[in-house]
Amino acid sequence: MPKVAITMPQLGESIAEAIIVKFLVKPGDTIEVDQEVIEVETNKATMGVTTLCGGVLSQFHVEEGTSYAVGTQLGIIEATEEEIQATGVTPIGQKANTEEEGELIEKTLSHGDNPAVKQDSQMDLPDAITIEPSVNGLPVPVGTKGANYISPRMRARMDDLGLRAADISAVSGSGAGGRVTIEDLEAFLLSIEDWPKSKASPMRLAVADAMRRSWTRPLATVGMPVVLDKVLNHRRKQLPKPGLTLYVLRAFALALKGDPASAGYLIGENIVYPRAFDIGVAVQVEDGVVVPVIRDADTKTVPQLSEEYAELVDKARGRRLGKETLEKGIATVTNFGTFGLVSGNPIPLPNETLILGLGAGVKKPVWSEETNTFIPVTTCELVITFDHRVVDGGGAGMLLQKVRDLLQKPELL
Amino acid sequence: MALTYIEAIHTAQRELLEESADVFIYGQDVGAFGGAFKATEGLAEAFPGRVIDAPISEDAMAGMVIGAAVEGARPILEMQFADFSSVAFNQIVNQAATHYYRTGVQVPITVRLPSGGTPGSGPFHSQTMESIYAHYPGLIVVTPATVADAYGMLKEAVMMDDPVMYCEHKFLYRWLRADELKKNSLPIGQARIVRPGKDATVVTYSAMVHEAVKAAEMLKEDGWEIEVVDLRSVKPIDIDTIMASISRTGRLLALGEGFPWGGVTAEVVSLVVAEGFHLLDAAPMRLNSKDTPVPYHPDLWAAHRPTPESISVSLKHLLRL
Amino acid sequence: MADEKVSPDALAKIHHGFRAMILSRTLENKLSSLYKAGKIVGGVYLGKGQEAISASLGTVLIKGKDVYAPLIRDQAGRTAFGEDLLDVTRTYLGKVTGPMKGRDGNVHRGRPKEGMPAMISHLGASLSYIAGMLFARRLRGELNDAIGAATFGDGATSTGAFHEGLNLAAVENLPIIVLVVNNSFAYSTPNDRQFSCDNLISRAEGYGVTGHEVDGTDFLACMDVMTQAAESARAGNGPQLIVANALRLCGHGEHDDAKYIPAELRAQSRDCIEVAESQMQENGFLSSEEIANIKQESKVQVTEAVAIAQREPTPDPRKDDWQALGMKNTIL
Repeated sequence: MPKVAITMPQLGESIAEAIIVKFLVKPGDTIEVDQEVIEVETNKATMGVTTLCGGVLSQFHVEEGTSYAVGTQLGIIEATEEEIQATGVTPIGQKANTEEEGELIEKTLSHGDNPAVKQDSQMDLPDAITIEPSVNGLPVPVGTKGANYISPRMRARMDDLGLRAADISAVSGSGAGGRVTIEDLEAFLLSIEDWPKSKASPMRLAVADAMRRSWTRPLATVGMPVVLDKVLNHRRKQLPKPGLTLYVLRAFALALKGDPASAGYLIGENIVYPRAFDIGVAVQVEDGVVVPVIRDADTKTVPQLSEEYAELVDKARGRRLGKETLEKGIATVTNFGTFGLVSGNPIPLPNETLILGLGAGVKKPVWSEETNTFIPVTTCELVITFDHRVVDGGGAGMLLQKVRDLLQKPELL
Repeated sequence: MALTYIEAIHTAQRELLEESADVFIYGQDVGAFGGAFKATEGLAEAFPGRVIDAPISEDAMAGMVIGAAVEGARPILEMQFADFSSVAFNQIVNQAATHYYRTGVQVPITVRLPSGGTPGSGPFHSQTMESIYAHYPGLIVVTPATVADAYGMLKEAVMMDDPVMYCEHKFLYRWLRADELKKNSLPIGQARIVRPGKDATVVTYSAMVHEAVKAAEMLKEDGWEIEVVDLRSVKPIDIDTIMASISRTGRLLALGEGFPWGGVTAEVVSLVVAEGFHLLDAAPMRLNSKDTPVPYHPDLWAAHRPTPESISVSLKHLLRL
Repeated sequence: MADEKVSPDALAKIHHGFRAMILSRTLENKLSSLYKAGKIVGGVYLGKGQEAISASLGTVLIKGKDVYAPLIRDQAGRTAFGEDLLDVTRTYLGKVTGPMKGRDGNVHRGRPKEGMPAMISHLGASLSYIAGMLFARRLRGELNDAIGAATFGDGATSTGAFHEGLNLAAVENLPIIVLVVNNSFAYSTPNDRQFSCDNLISRAEGYGVTGHEVDGTDFLACMDVMTQAAESARAGNGPQLIVANALRLCGHGEHDDAKYIPAELRAQSRDCIEVAESQMQENGFLSSEEIANIKQESKVQVTEAVAIAQREPTPDPRKDDWQALGMKNTIL
C-alpha cells in the first residue's frame, strides 16, 4: 500500500520548529483527508497538523512534548491507490514531479558582433573615431606567478609568454616611474626575434629558478686564505683518501654547531634555528648542479663522511639520487677549486642562509722564522656567502676562522 | 538652426505623439503650462487629451501609467524632478519592474527623470537616481549625454516594451546644443567612445561625459591621451566596449555625478576588476560627488560634484600609479 | 428584498455569487489544510467571513470587459469574476503550470491581460493601476461602459498610495469601484490605531466621490450595493467608494490564530455564509437540497483542482530563463 507522510508544516514565516502538544489520533485509526491529526504549538499560535490524504495511520515517529523542525516527517499514513489518485499526493519513495530535465538555459552575452567603437553621428561631441590597438596579444589569461612588482596586466602578458622578471632585466622601462610597460616588453621581444636560440634543459631551468629565488635576499661574501698542509698530510695517510671537501664540510658543521643562529632563517620577526646540521655538497653534473645532503654532518667523522659521500656522488652523476638525499639542508659546501678556480662568489640555495666555497689549492713560498728561509705552503681561499639579514661580516668571518682552526687539527675531524 | 538638449526631448515627444496614438504624456504641469522645463510646450494644444496634468501624486501617477501600459498604451511619465520619483519608488520598483517576470506581461512605460545638479537647486532638485533604479531587475536605465541621444534614446525608449527610466540631465537642457538633429543614433545598450586615448580610460555617462572630455583636454597639454567612454545606458551596461577600452589603456577612472556609495561607478569598477584584472596597470579609481546631500550654494555645489579640475587631478594620480 | 420581485437576471447573479461564496469557502478550507500539512510554503491568507462582500463585487463585474484588482481576502471575488480554480491551486502549490510559474505565489497571482492584475504586497498600489487601465481605454475611445474595481482593507486606507490613487481616480472621473472591507483589524492592529474618523465612509465626501456603506455579512445587501455602485460607475458617475463591514473569521494568515480578536467581538459576529444560506432559503432562491448539492459539487471541484495541481511539475531552476526584461533579444 502506498505510504504518505505527515509532515511538520511551516507555521509562519519565521518559524523553524514546533512542539508536538498532543496526538489527536492513534496508530490503526482510519483517517480522513484534511483531518487534524496532531496539535502543535509555536511561539505564535497553536494549530492542528492536517493530512494530505485519507487512509490508516500506520505510525508516528515523534513524541509529545518535543519540538521538531519544519519539514520533519511526523508519521505515516497507509493509503489506498484510489486515495492517492483522488488527492494527487506523491507517496513516500516516489519522485515528486518536477519539470522535465532540460538543457541548462544559459543566456550569455554575445561578444561577437560588437565592435569596440560604435559608429555614431552626434554633433555636440566629435564624430566616430577609429581606434588602433596599442598593444598586441591582449586580453590574456590571468596568472599569479612572478616575483617583482609588476602590474597585473604586465604579469598576465609575461605569464602568457612564460617570462620571469629576471628575463626582462635587459628592458629599460618607459612607463610611469620607469616601469616596464607592455609596449617596452613587446619591443624587446621583437628585437630578439632573429637571434639564435635553443631550449633550456629542465635542469637548467631548475637551477635558474633556485638562483632567482635566492637572489631576492641581500647576499654578501667574505673570504680568507687557509693553509692546507696539515689536512693534506693527514689525508695522504688515509685509505681510501677522503676528499678535501669533506674535511671542510666536517669543520663547517662543527663551526655551525657552535653558532647555530648563523645558519638560521629570518622569518618575519623570528630567527628560526636549524633542527639538524645537514650539510649539502654541490656536485657538478651535466648542464647543472645537484646538491645531495649529508645528514647530521656534525656527528660523523671524515672517514664516515667519505664513504657516504662517494656513494652520493655516484648516484648524483647517474641521476639516481633519492628524494631523501635531495631534501633540504641548512648550508652547502661547494668546491669550485676542482675547476682550478682560486676564488669565487657562490650563491646559497634559496632555503639556506650560508654557502661555504673552497678555491683551488695554491703552493706559495712563505717565510719561515724558524728556518729563516722561504718554505712551500699550500693554501686555498675559503669564502662564505651569507644572507646579510641574518649574519653580519664579522659573524661570517668568525665562522671562517673556526673552520680554518679546525682544519689545522685534521686528526680531530 | 541650433537645437538644445531639451528641444531634442521636446521634438522626440512631439514625433512620438504624432507617430503613435498609444503615446500619451502624464505629469505635473505638463498640459497647458508646457512643463516645468518646457519639454511639453504646445503639445497639449496640439494633441488634445493626450498631454495631461497630473495631481501631485507621484505614486499614483506611476501606478496609473503602469496600468495604462498593460492595456496597450505607451505612456511617458514626466517626473517634475528626478528627486520626486522617490515618492513613486514603490510603483516603479515593485509594480513595473517585477511585472514581466511575475506575469509575463511587459510594461512599456517611459519615466522621464529630470536629473542632476544645476547651481542653486539644492538637495531636492539635484539628485541623480540612475544608480538606484539600475539596481532593480526589470528596468532599463538610460542616461543620454548628447543632443542626438536625448532625441534618439527617448524615441527608442518609448517604443520599447519594457519599463525605461530615462534620466535626462537638467544641466544639459539649454547648455548643450547641436547645429542639426541627427537621427541615426546607436541602440540603447551600446556605449560609445567619444574620445580616443591610450593612457587611461574614463568611463562615465550623462553630463559627466562633457566634464571628462574637458579634463582630457587639460591633460593633453601634458602629453596624456585619455579615452572617454560614454555608457549611454547604465543598464544594460556595455561591458564589451568598456573592456575593449581598458585593454588599450590599462587604467580606469569610473566617473559619475551620483553619490559615492555604491552605484554605477562601483559597478563599472567591479565588472572591470572581475573580468579584466589582468588588463590593469593600476588599481581602478572612482570619482563621484561628495557623500553629502547636494548643497544649495553654487560654490558648494561646484565643489560637491566632479569638475574637470578634480577629474584631471584624479587622472594624474591614476597615471602615476 | 423578500417582498420585491427579483428579475431572472438578478436571480442568476445571486446564484452565481452564492456559488462563488461556497466554492471559495471550500477551497480556502482545503488551502488551509494543505498549509497545515506542510504542503504550501510561504503563507496562506484567507477571506473567511468576507465572502459575501467579495463575491458580490466579483459577480457584478463582467470578465472580458471590466478590470478587477482583488486583494488578499478576495478568493470569493476572484472566483465570481471567473478565475480558474487551477490558477489558484497551481499558484499555491508553486507549480510551473500556473500563471505565475512558481515565480510568485499564493494571493499574488493574476492575468493582467484578462483584466485581473496580480497584486503586489504594497497596499493601496492597485488603485492607480486600475485607474490607468481605464484611462488607457478611454484614451483610445474604447472604454464604453466598462468599469474597474479594486479592493482594500481598513489598513490600506492609511497608505499614501490609497489616497493618491483615489484622488487621482476622482480627478479623472474614472469608473472605479473602490471597495474597502473594514474587518476591524489590520493584521492585529484595531481600527482605533488605524484611523480617527468615525466611519471610513465619511472620506467619500472628501474625495468628491459617491459613498456606499453595507453590512458585509449580509449577502443580499452586498449584492444590492455592488449592483448600484457598478451601475452608477457605468453611467459615468466616477469612483464609487464602498465601505463594507465584516469580521474576518480567521487569522491574518493561517499561521496566525488571531488571539488578538476579543471573544465578545467574535461572539457578536455572523458568518456571511450562514446568513446567505438562510437568505437563499427564505427567499426561495435555493432549497436546502440545492445548497447541499452546491457544497458537494464545490468539494468535488476543489478536490480535483488540487489533485491535478499536485501531480504537475514544480519549476526547474535550470529552465527558468531568469530574465526580468522581455526585450532581451534587442539588447542582450
